[in-house]
Amino acid sequence: MATDAPAAPAEPSDDQADPTETRESDRGLGDQLRDVGPGRVALYAVLLALGAFYLAPLESGLLTAFKTQEAFFSTTPFAPPPIDGTTVAPWLSAFDTLSGGLVNSFILVVPATLISALLGSLAAYGLTNIDWRGQLVVLLLFVAGVFIPYQAVLVPLTRFWTMVGLNDLLAFWEPLASRADLVALIITHAAYGIPICTVLFRSFYSTIDGEMLEAARLDGASAATIYRRIILPLSGPIFAVTLIYQFTQIWNDLLFALVLLSSPENQVVTIALNKLKGSMVQQYNLQMAGAFIAALPTLLVYVLFGEQFAEGVAGET
Amino acid sequence: MSALTLDHVTKLFDDDGDEIVAVDDVSIDIADGEFLVLVGPSGCGKSTTLRMIAGLESISRGEIRLGGTVINDKPPADRDIAMVFQSYALYPHMTVRENMRFGLEESTDMADDDIERTVTDTAEMLGISSMLGRKPKELSGGQQQRVALGRAIVRDPEVFLMDEPLSNLDAKLRAEMRTELQRLQEDLDTTTVYVTHDQTEAMTMGDKIAILNDGRLQQVATPLEAYHEPANRFVAGFIGEPSMNFFEMEVQGDRLVGEEFSYPVSESTLENVGDAERVTLGVRPEDVRLVGEKTDEHDFQTTVDVVEPMGRENNVYLAFTADSEATFVASVDGMRSVEAGQPAIARIPEEAIHLFDGDTGVTLQNRSLEDLEQTEPRI
Repeated sequence: MATDAPAAPAEPSDDQADPTETRESDRGLGDQLRDVGPGRVALYAVLLALGAFYLAPLESGLLTAFKTQEAFFSTTPFAPPPIDGTTVAPWLSAFDTLSGGLVNSFILVVPATLISALLGSLAAYGLTNIDWRGQLVVLLLFVAGVFIPYQAVLVPLTRFWTMVGLNDLLAFWEPLASRADLVALIITHAAYGIPICTVLFRSFYSTIDGEMLEAARLDGASAATIYRRIILPLSGPIFAVTLIYQFTQIWNDLLFALVLLSSPENQVVTIALNKLKGSMVQQYNLQMAGAFIAALPTLLVYVLFGEQFAEGVAGET
Repeated sequence: MSALTLDHVTKLFDDDGDEIVAVDDVSIDIADGEFLVLVGPSGCGKSTTLRMIAGLESISRGEIRLGGTVINDKPPADRDIAMVFQSYALYPHMTVRENMRFGLEESTDMADDDIERTVTDTAEMLGISSMLGRKPKELSGGQQQRVALGRAIVRDPEVFLMDEPLSNLDAKLRAEMRTELQRLQEDLDTTTVYVTHDQTEAMTMGDKIAILNDGRLQQVATPLEAYHEPANRFVAGFIGEPSMNFFEMEVQGDRLVGEEFSYPVSESTLENVGDAERVTLGVRPEDVRLVGEKTDEHDFQTTVDVVEPMGRENNVYLAFTADSEATFVASVDGMRSVEAGQPAIARIPEEAIHLFDGDTGVTLQNRSLEDLEQTEPRI
């Protein structure tokens, strides 16, 4: 969502900086500043402008969320709120409306993310570190699974869950039966996430030293033990990658949720967000505060697993 | 402890329908407690052979027996074999202690205390007690090597398999570990199969060495036998540093005639040559002598091409004529001054020559060992 927008465009521009200029870093800062060429100035100007361009909507949104309705109409969107027009009321109000959806989203995202990552990891281990006939075909099926668009499965998906009749299956326990929609969504997202998780885990597992796994076999460890005692403990960084990826994907999904969730009490945050849209008057401060509240958990996940994420992306074992 | 037998072992790999023979009908008997070195150039099938013994590769044909039991279809874990890998293959997320415990935890029902005691004792024997709490990443190459050994030793297996375990160490450490490994193996008295491409390791470490080339077993012998009585030209050229000198010769009457020189041979040598028309004459560098004047019919006028001073000896590259490309090596005393460009008379004594069949490479005659007994008394 909006969270990763500002960082992404800045990095490629950075890489494109003239490689000859980086040599200047071994001299003093003063020396460097003195003979900064016009090219360098232009480069920084462009970078700053790009940064500002991408950050402006975020900044406007954040400031708008702290303005009263009057202040919003009387100021430009990216100006800070006037003293008498500053308020946190939109945040409280938005949180009030979204809290149920936030809880439901967590109930959905945490198990779906964990299940898809764990199953992806297991599948990748079986496809990468264990030899068996026909594994290439199975791998290709997984890779194909990555490319199935959400829209293509909507109809089969709803028909499938109608046929399954999860409500009846879960009828033995009332609290669970009332959550049947959410359970269906958890399973759907978990299943949909397995291919991409498998591919991510596979690329990581193919870098694991084969001799080490052979040593473990000679040490008497079974395939399951090798997974539990060697592969899994070494998978930290790639788990961070898939957890962040899956968390963001599932948290931000609206399409599956719209199709599969029928009862209002199971609504997730992306659906609840729509409730902040006024019918007559648009309350932009409320909508902005709601958008930030809805996006916050994905940001937090990046912060929490950021270091391991970087390791996982760099492919360190 | 048990004897290990490879009985007509063959390994075929399938390469898109083509069969590639990696190991071709190899039979070796390794006695209980013996140290066998499998040696050969890269790609000769020595590692594949080792992996078949370990159970990491299937056996296409033949049998491998350990203590009389066929182990062809036993999974690696049930073979009671421990292996030391070239990359050490330590578990990076475990401490040294956990690395060494792992095998015992997985393959035995030993009590925790017993495992701990075994690990501590082994660590002490290898001098790595102080590192038990550290991770492999924090250790030097030599220390990691010891941990890898320790991991194999704690298992107290029937057979040790070692796949070029010293090749990642620097030269000095390698020489030290070579001696230490030998001492360890003698103390433990465990049957060991050691794979290397380094003929020095093969010569110095093995009770017996098995030389492989292109998947085929060339010779199984003690190191000195392989050195002095090679079974064929390949073994003669592979074992020994610098390599044996070879000359392609034609048999003409009682002389062997080559491009650069002709070599008169005695009656008994001619008998060994038999019907062969073309032979390869081989002589070890240390058997070529530089003499003052031509007094023997086996003395040849040469020119010194290059001198490699090694300190203890000089490796002198000699050419029969000044502008000749082909050279052969003589190892002479390090104190003797030899300079490039100077003329020299090389003596190739008949009792020191090896003769191989020009077509098949099979040995027709090895050097006389009467001479050997005098100069290199065996213990």
